[in-house]
Amino acid sequence: MQAPNERDRTDAPSARQLIIGTAAALVVALLVLVTVVMPAEFGIDPLGTGQALGLLELADASEGPLETVPTAHKHDYVEFILEPFQSVEYKYHLALNSSMVYSWEATGELVYDMHADPEGMEGEEFVESFEQGTGTSSYGTYHAPFTGIHGWFWENRTFEEIVLRLHSAGFYEGSVVFRDGGSYEQALSPLFE
Amino acid sequence: MFAATLPSLRRNPLAMMLVIGSAWLLFTSATQAHTIAGNDANFVQDIDGPAILPFIYLGAKHMVTGYDHLLFLFGVVFFLYRPVHVVQYVTLFAVGHSITLLTGVLANLQVNAFLIDAIIGLSIVYKACENMGGFARLGRLRPNPQAAVFVFGLFHGLGLATKLQAFELSANGLITNIISFNIGVELGQILALTFVFIALSLWRTSGSYLRHAFVTNAVLMCGGFLLAGYQITAYLTTPVY
Repeated sequence: MQAPNERDRTDAPSARQLIIGTAAALVVALLVLVTVVMPAEFGIDPLGTGQALGLLELADASEGPLETVPTAHKHDYVEFILEPFQSVEYKYHLALNSSMVYSWEATGELVYDMHADPEGMEGEEFVESFEQGTGTSSYGTYHAPFTGIHGWFWENRTFEEIVLRLHSAGFYEGSVVFRDGGSYEQALSPLFE
Repeated sequence: MFAATLPSLRRNPLAMMLVIGSAWLLFTSATQAHTIAGNDANFVQDIDGPAILPFIYLGAKHMVTGYDHLLFLFGVVFFLYRPVHVVQYVTLFAVGHSITLLTGVLANLQVNAFLIDAIIGLSIVYKACENMGGFARLGRLRPNPQAAVFVFGLFHGLGLATKLQAFELSANGLITNIISFNIGVELGQILALTFVFIALSLWRTSGSYLRHAFVTNAVLMCGGFLLAGYQITAYLTTPVY
C-alpha cells in the first residue's frame, strides 16, 4: 500500500539538512533538559542554572513522603461524660496545612459531625463538614485545609450515659470546648519544656 | 470579536497554533498531565466492582491531557490529508495500544513506567524524523509507516497499562473497568484528533504549511527528545523500593 504520510521523495531534504535539523532538535532538547527541567523537576542542577533562575525551589516544594515543620507537636487526651441528650463540641486550633492524628472511642453510640470553622468567619455558612455519622469510634489523620478551629460535635441520643475518650497528637496550639451554651479555651503544654 | 479574529487567525497559522496550544496548556496544566493523580487516584483505588462511565471518563481524560500521546498523534496526522487515511492510521494505533493495555493489565506485566514513557518520547522523535523525510533515502529498507504506527501503538498501550497498574485495582469488575478505560482512551483520542486535524487543515490552506513542515517536525522531534530525557532522568533518580 502506498504510504500517504511521507514527503514526496523529490523534495526530500538533503542529508546535510537532515543532520542539522536532527542535531539542533537534540541539542535544544538536552539544553532545556539540563538547564531547566532537571533543576525544576528533580533538583539536579549541574550547571547552576536552576539556582540562577530560581527553579530549584520548585523541586523542593514538590510533594515527598516527608514533610517537616518548624515546631514540635503537642498531644492531648480528653474525656467527656455525656448524659442522655447532652452534647459537646471539641476543636483544635490548626493553621493551614497543619496535620493531626486522632482516635476517639465511646462506650455507646454517638451522633457526630467532624467539621471546621475558618478563622475570622462567623456563621453557619462558612462551616465545612468532613464526616457526619453515628458510631462508637473514629480513627484518622486530618490535614487542615484552612486556618481555624477543627474538631467534633458529639451528641448522645440514647437513654444511657456515655463516656467519650479522645486521644490526639498534632501541630495545634490549643483547643476549645463548647458545652452547655458556653465555651472555654484550653492551652496545651509543650512536648519539651 | 471572536468572529473578527477568526479570519486573521486563518491567515496566520502560527498565531492559530499558539491559540490552540495555549488552550491545551490551560486545560492540561490544571491536571497533572501524565499520571492519574489527586482525586482521580483516590477514586480508582477505592473502587470495587464495575464502574463503566467513570473509567470511560478517566481514559478519555488521560488521552486528552496526555501531551506525549497528543504529540505522537500530531506527528502521525501531519502528512495525512484525507480523513480516510487518518482513520486508517489511527485504527492501527488504537489496535496496537488496546492489545497491550488489555494484556498488560490482565496478565499483570510489570514494566517500568519511566522506561516505557521514554520509549513513547522516542516514538515522537521517530515520527518527526519520518515526517522530515529522514527515511526517504533508505529505499526498500525504509520502515513501513503503517507497521511503525502499530508497533508504537503497542508501546503507548503498555504506558497506559502502567498508569492503571500503579493502583491496587480491585479484581471485582476488572475486565469491565479496563475495557471502559480503553473505550475512554479511544473517545479521548477522537476528540483530540478532531482538534488537531481541524487545526492542521486550516493551516494547510495557507502556503506556509509545506514551507514550515521541516521546522515544525524538528520542533516536534525536540519535544520528543525532551520527554525521553525527562523520563530517563526520572528513571535514574527514582529509588527502587
